[in-house]
This record gives sequence, structure tokens and C-alpha cells, in this order.
Amino acid sequence: MGAKGKKKLIAAFQYAVLILILIFLMFPLYWVLMTSFKTNMEAYRFPPTMIPEAPTVHSYISLFTEDNFFFIYYKNNFIVSGITAAITLVLAIMSGYALSRFKIKWNKWIVAAFLSAQMFPIVSRMISLYDLLGKIHLINTRTGLILALTAAMLPFTITLMASFFDGIPKELEEAATVDGAGRFQTLFQIIMPLVKSGMVAVGIYAFLMTWDDYLHAVTLIQNDNLRTLSAGVALRYLGELSYDWSKVNTISVVGILPIMFLFFFFQKYMVKGLVAGAVKG
Amino acid sequence: MNKEKELVQLMEKKASIGRFHMTARERNDRVFAGALLLPSVLITVIFILVPVVDSVIKSFLNYKVKNIISGKPGEWNNFANYIKLFQNGKLGMAIVHTLLFVAAVVIAQFLLGMALALILNSDIRFTRFVRSIMMAPWVVPTIISGLIWMWLYQPQYGLLKYLIGLVTGGKVSDFAILNNPSTAMLGITIAALWKQIPLTTLLLVSGLTNVPGDLLEAATIDGAGSVKKFLYITVPSIMSVIKITVSMSIIENFKQFPLFWTMTGGGPDNATTTLAILSYREAFVSNNLGSGAAVTTVWMLLMIVVVFVYNRVFKDVDMN
Amino acid sequence: MFMRKRTLALAMAAVMGLTTACSGGSQSAQTTAAPTAAETTAKAAAESKGEESKAAEAEITEPVTIKFANYALLEAGYDAYWNQLLDEFKKQNPNITVELVTAPYGEIVNTVVNMAGGGDMVDLMYGELDWIPTMVEAGMAAPVGDVLSEELVADIYPNILDACKIDGEAYGVPMYVSPFLMYYNKDLFEKAGLDPNTPPTTYDEMLEIAPKLAALTTDDGNKVYAFGLTTASVPVSGACLTSSIHNFGGTVLDADGNLAIDQGFKDAVSMWKTLHDKGYNPENSKLKDLRNLFALGQLAMYYDQSWGFNGVKSINPDAADFIASAAPLKGGNGNGESVLQAGTLMVMNNGDARKAATAKLVDYILSEEKISQYFETVTPAYPSRQSMEDLEVVKNSAILAGAAGAVGNVKPVTFIPTLSDLNLEICTLAQAVTVSGTDVDKAIVDFETAAKGVIE
Repeated sequence: MGAKGKKKLIAAFQYAVLILILIFLMFPLYWVLMTSFKTNMEAYRFPPTMIPEAPTVHSYISLFTEDNFFFIYYKNNFIVSGITAAITLVLAIMSGYALSRFKIKWNKWIVAAFLSAQMFPIVSRMISLYDLLGKIHLINTRTGLILALTAAMLPFTITLMASFFDGIPKELEEAATVDGAGRFQTLFQIIMPLVKSGMVAVGIYAFLMTWDDYLHAVTLIQNDNLRTLSAGVALRYLGELSYDWSKVNTISVVGILPIMFLFFFFQKYMVKGLVAGAVKG
Repeated sequence: MNKEKELVQLMEKKASIGRFHMTARERNDRVFAGALLLPSVLITVIFILVPVVDSVIKSFLNYKVKNIISGKPGEWNNFANYIKLFQNGKLGMAIVHTLLFVAAVVIAQFLLGMALALILNSDIRFTRFVRSIMMAPWVVPTIISGLIWMWLYQPQYGLLKYLIGLVTGGKVSDFAILNNPSTAMLGITIAALWKQIPLTTLLLVSGLTNVPGDLLEAATIDGAGSVKKFLYITVPSIMSVIKITVSMSIIENFKQFPLFWTMTGGGPDNATTTLAILSYREAFVSNNLGSGAAVTTVWMLLMIVVVFVYNRVFKDVDMN
Repeated sequence: MFMRKRTLALAMAAVMGLTTACSGGSQSAQTTAAPTAAETTAKAAAESKGEESKAAEAEITEPVTIKFANYALLEAGYDAYWNQLLDEFKKQNPNITVELVTAPYGEIVNTVVNMAGGGDMVDLMYGELDWIPTMVEAGMAAPVGDVLSEELVADIYPNILDACKIDGEAYGVPMYVSPFLMYYNKDLFEKAGLDPNTPPTTYDEMLEIAPKLAALTTDDGNKVYAFGLTTASVPVSGACLTSSIHNFGGTVLDADGNLAIDQGFKDAVSMWKTLHDKGYNPENSKLKDLRNLFALGQLAMYYDQSWGFNGVKSINPDAADFIASAAPLKGGNGNGESVLQAGTLMVMNNGDARKAATAKLVDYILSEEKISQYFETVTPAYPSRQSMEDLEVVKNSAILAGAAGAVGNVKPVTFIPTLSDLNLEICTLAQAVTVSGTDVDKAIVDFETAAKGVIE
């Protein structure tokens, strides 16, 4: 076989693997989308229909007209995830900068604390957390949930942010100090613009991860008007009494869409940020 | 002898004075750094470390739900929580399942992610497009990804059952992956992989783009095959990325709870009872918080050991 | 640790005018339980002579807020009813604000317990009968006599109230009750050449006709399962499996809450294996999976609570045309005793003002008007109040007709604090002999080890 033939063969093999993995990643989403346009009776047909025979937007209509609580969960999730991401970002910038720039002797311990905090399973702290939030009257409030989620986000985002600061030459800062810039000025005007992609990465990461939260929301929130999406979906649609796969699939579609738009909109920064953070870290 | 000792002491003294004698700038630095760190440290301590320590303490107590409600402290019970868990064999089983799951997901994820990353890094077409759309599963919330796969796996009219039926020519007509104790773990592993492969791939691809091209070219000129190039040039130069990617994956999968809870709840026949499920069941189904805390304590220790060993192994690799 | 017996059999059957056969075991249990019931009623009456009952009846003049934990409030098929009820209640009692606490069915007990841990106790909780031990163990549920009106408590069938008792105190009042009964599909019976009006009465008869039903396919070529028995790991499945053990005359726990595995227990477990090995029972299914299959005509017979019909109906509105009920099957030396299930209201003590408001709400929920509406619009079941003995909607229910005697033929389940966990272990046992293919004897030995860990 000639070199050209071999190259072609390799390319063909690569395409084949690529397509297989892509099918694995994308087909479930296609399937969910298709099922959401089926009636329940068609969804339960076997063998299944690849494309809805009688496409219907019934599930969507009923979701939008009857299930208005779904949008309450939705809105709550945006509020909780948005605020958590914002707080996390600010704190991660401050702490990441401190850890990266000032090698004080406590650093080691603080880093160790953050690293271990990252590993602790959520279940292990739920009861104590409940106790604690109850004592400070933050149980069943967004504030309490946001604080708990922020705590869960901080360890990783701080290390991520620190790795970005690590990538900025110290000389730059020293030059700024020589020029007479204050500490905050140095941080906000000189350093921060250089870690923009890191900031976007941290912000979006915190948003995505809190959007995904289930255990915190289920344990710390009992009021339906404050519930977030995952907890709400589990509550309404995984219950013992209901069984409506068309709607479950519709909810999946509607639950995924905004987060997906958000991600694809910020993808450039997000990817750059996560990657840069990981590569340098 | 004595003089020597004195000398050493003197030197130590000097050193320590030096250590505490810092410039004003340095002292300022410390205050500033401390101020920047304070809020994060406080939040982490209050909301994570204190509850975790509290839970470790509870693992040695007879602590049930009624203790919380009546406000009565738990009583020391001579390791009864641990003894019970070891004796009824549940803990060992859960540890095995957890390790199995973590190993399977981490390894499969790395291999598939690496394969995809290598392809995306080669000069074939559509890579930009693929790189962009492949991230979709990663942003799907875990609960919803569980729902999606439960629907695909649905025992009576699920797509997978149909596909398996087609592939086997109708021989296997009632394939229900989550209902069979020997395949249930595989079912959850697949769902976990689906959500996690994209990020792994993304990180690895970006690592690959940083592999020095001239090195690879030089190796090609020297007649090195692609396998050799991969092992001796590519892998070492993306080692830090691999290390981070894998350790993130280990931690995430060790902690996996919602996927198990929604998809199997630990069944069938305990085949998917991991430490996460066991602790939740002990603490919140049996309402025995002490016992649940014992499971999470073992879980945390195990995780620390695994991460420690992992870091050790990778350190050695780095040195080579 | 507390233990108690639940007995429902005879009195239930008698007052409801339903015929039933009752086993010796059940009779003896009944005689021991009866005095306790009388005592408690008397005690409750004596206690509540004064301010208790007055508080419940008095107008509530000061605004008061009570918390009501109810998972069904948000479940499709149930939410409309509950929301309407609470709206009406609000209109009639402008001074009472009912704050709702909701969580998934599987999480609501934790939620309520966690809330109490944070110093915030709900006043009323709606849930399964089997949740009572957990709520009592947690020190939350209050004796009903402390909160509810004497009139209401006295009107509950004594033996239904008995089912809510621990150490002689009732900690809940059922809204409605049902045994695990057998639903079957008349159309499928006809299709298989069987008489749709004579369902099997024993497991042997069921096994005889099962091959004919299992040979059927639906119109679009799907497999038909002959007999559904839930085995997935949720506590209610454990209750249903316990019911199947009772069918064989077996027991899980004795009256003192100790494991009492007997021949009936073993026979039942062997039957679960047979059902699985012959492919009659959908693997590892929850009740809702069975309801779903049944609604689609893919399941000929299955065990469920009477209100499972609501789940069936929500998937296939035409299900009423083919569904029929029958008494649970008899197996071995047993006579088909079952386990009682109930939608139960549990009350908690948060001071007089909130107790009075809670009592009002419970009175309203359990009013004849609301209960009839529930049976009519939501799902069929049996009433828990003696004054509703002649409820037309129950008498005329075509769906319940076939299982008429079953509600009287139930064997008590001993309440232990870890009942939910024990139920899960029973599910694991069922999974071991079915999907895992473990040998019956070995699986039972494993179960004993696990169950002992749960019970002690």
C-alpha cells in the first residue's frame, strides 16, 4: 500500500471513530427532541418511531400553559446560579490573586483546606449545614442556598483563578508598584484585564455547576416558590404518581436550551479559560 | 560536643529571627493577602469544613433524627456504627462498587476523550464545528441526563432495547440494562461518560495544540512512527493537562450521587449501591445519621487515599 | 423502641358490610387489639373534654399560619384536587393561612425531618401509613387526640385507627384506605379465551392461566406480561411484597418486631422467582411502571393500591373500560390476607392556636363532601370514617366491586422505627431471587443478615 493509501485509510478510520463518538454524544439529544414532539401513546410504541409520525407540540403547549411552576423553578435557577456565579467570581479573583502572589506561610494550609474541601461529598455535610442555616435563619431562603453553593464552588474556582494569576509575570506588577500604583489599583487596573478569559471561565463554570445542583436545593429549600430546576423536575416529574414521558422529554429540552445558548455564546472564552487554567495549573 | 550544640542553637535562633523579621512591605503583603483570602476562607470553613468535621464526630455517636429535633446531643457508642457496617457487609460492597465505577468511568473517559482529541487535533475537516457542538452533553444538568438515559434504557419501549433486538436479530428481545444486576453499573457508567467525555476531550485537545510542532517534525524526520511519537513526545508534553483532567474526573465520579439516585436508587439487588447511595440511605432513609456519617467518613478517607496515591504515581511519572 | 400490632380485619369488614374470610391469626390479633382501641378512644375522649375539642370547634379569630407538608399537592393528577380544596378552605377560614411544604414523594419525610431539625416543624403531613413509625421515632408526630377533634377521631373505624397506633396511641388519621388488591385487564382475559368475570383466586389458578395471557401480544406487537408484582427498591414495593407474603399466610415480623421467617414467607419468595423465571413479571419495576404497562394493555394482572387506578387513568383515559379488581390471590396455606395502605394525615403539636387551625383543616379534608369528591374525581378507595359507610361513590364503584372483601382481609404489619429500610431489604431480596438469579434459600439467608442489621 502506498503512503497515500495508508493516509486515506487512517483518515477513514478517524472519521469512523469520530462519527461513532459523535453519535454517542449527540443522538440522545436528538432522541429527546423527537420524543418531546410525540404523543404519549406514540412515545410508548414499540418499535419506536425515529421521527414522530404525528408530530405534536401538545407537551410544549401544556408545559407553557399549565405547568407555570416550571418557569418559577427556571427563574429561581437563573437567580440562584447567577448570583452564586457573581459572588464566586469576585471571591475567586481575590483569593486566587492572594494565593498566587503572596507566598505567605499559611498558604500551604489554605490551599490544602481548599483542595480537601473540594473532595468532601455533599451528603456528609447536609445535616450539619441544615442545622447551621437553621440557626442563622437562612434555611428555606435563596440567600442560604446561594451561600452554600458558593462554598461548594469556591475551592475549584479559586485554584483555577490562581493558575491564571500565576501566568502573569510578576515584573508587571512590580513595575506598577514602582510607578506608585496602590494595591487595589494594581489588581483591578493592571492585572485583572489580563485574566479576562479566566474570569469568564470561572463565572460560566460556577453558573453551569450550580445550574446542575440537586442535593443542596432538595435539602435546603422546601418552599416550591424558591425551588430550582433539578429539584423541581425531580419533584414534579419523577414522582411516584406521575408518568408522562412526553412531558419529561419536553422539560429536558426546555431545561437544556438556555444553558446551551449561554454556553455556546460564551464558548470561546469558556474554552480558553478552562483550558488555560488547567494547562497552567 | 556542647559547643557544637550551642552553635546549632545559635544558628537556629538567628534563622528564626530572620524569619520573623520582615520588611514593612512584606508585612503589608500579609495583611493584604489575608484580607483578600478572608471571605473565601470563612465561607469554606463555615459551610464545608465545619459541617464535615461535625459529621466525622457524629460518626462515632448514636445520633438519630430524634436527636436533631429534640436537640439532644448524641452519645458515644464505641464504634458501633462502623462495626455494624462492616459486619453486615454493606460497606465492603459499597466500596467495591464505588471503586469499580470510578475506575471504569475514569479510564473509559480518558481513552475515548483522548481518541476524540487526537482526531480533532489532526487535519481532518469539520473539527471546528465538532469541537463546538460536542460540548452539548456537558451542559445538560445531571438530573436531566439521568432522565434522558432512563428514557433510552426504558425496559419496554426504550430505544436501546430496540437496537439490541435489531443487532442480535431478535435473539435478545428484552434487554433492560438497568434491571440486570450485572449490567446496571454499565448503564450508569455510560450515562456518566456521556456527560463527561466532552470536557475531557476539550481539555486534552487544547493540551495537544500546545505540543511543540517542531519536536514532532524532527521525530518524523528521524523516522519515528506515530505510536512512538505519541508516547514519547505528545504524552509527556501534555502530562500536566492529563494530570488535571484525570484528577478532576476521579473526584467528580467519586462524589457522584444524583445519577445513581435517579436512575437505580442503588438497585437492582444492591448492584449499584455506592458509598454515596449507602450514606444517603443510612442517613436519610433509615434516619440513622450517625451510621450515615460513618459511611461518609470512610468515603472521605478512601478518596483521600486514592487521590494521594494518584498524586504519588504521577509525581514519579513526572520525574521520569 | 416501640412495637405495636395493626389489626384491621374484622371490624372493618363488619362495619363496611363487606363479606370476608378471616384467618385465625388475624382473629387473635384482633382480640388483643380491641381493648387497646377502646382504651385509647376513652382516654382521648377524656383528655379532650375540655379545651381541646373546644379549640377545634371555636371560631379562629386571630390570624394563624399553619404548615402542611404534602407531596401529592404537586403531582399531576392530584394537584388540582388539593389546590381546589385549599382554596375553598381559605375562603371559609380567612384567618388561617396554610403554608405548603412540598418535596418529592421520596424526599418529603427527610424534608420535614430536616425542617424540624432546624426548629421549624410542620403542623400537618399527608403521606403513607408506613411513614408513621419514622415520624414518631423522630419525636415529631403527636397523638391525634392532642390535636384533632374528638368527634372526628371517634368516627374513624376503630381498627383503621388501630393501624395508626404505636403503643396504644394513634399518630395519624387515614383519609382513605385500600389493601393491596389485584387489578386485571378484562379485554386481555377475553382475548386469551378466559372469562373476564372470574379472575383467579389463588396463585396456582393464576399460574394456570398465565401462559395464555403471556402468549398474547398487543395490537402493535408488544409483549404482554401475565402478572405484575413490584420489586424495585422503593419502600412501597416492600409493603406490596409483604402483602404477597401475607397472601401465603407468611409473616415478616412477629408482634414484637423480630424477624419471623416462616414457610409462608419462603413460599412467597419462591413464587416471586417463578413469576420472574417464566417471564410473567416485568423485571425490577416500580408500581408506576406497572400502572403504565397496565394502562397500555401490556399487563394482564398486577397488585396495586386502589388509587393506583389514578396513575393508570392518567396514561390511558379509557382504562376504566377494561380495568377490574379482584381480591389478592391465596397462596400455599394462606388465605390471601393482604396489607392495608392508607393516605394518612399526621399531626404535630405547635401550640394551641396552630393545633386548632390544623384540626379545622383536617376536619375539612375528611368531610364527606371532600372525600366523596376525592373518590369521584381523583381515585377510588375506601373511606376511613364510619359515618361515610354508605358513600354512594364507593358502593357504585365498578372498579372496586371485584375486590370488595379484600379490605377486610388484611394482616397487621408490626411498626418498627426502621420499617422503610426493612421494606427496602425485602425489595433487595426480591431482586436477588429474580434479576440476580440467586437461589431462594441463600437469598433468604442474606436477607436475614441484612434485615437484622436494620431491625436491631
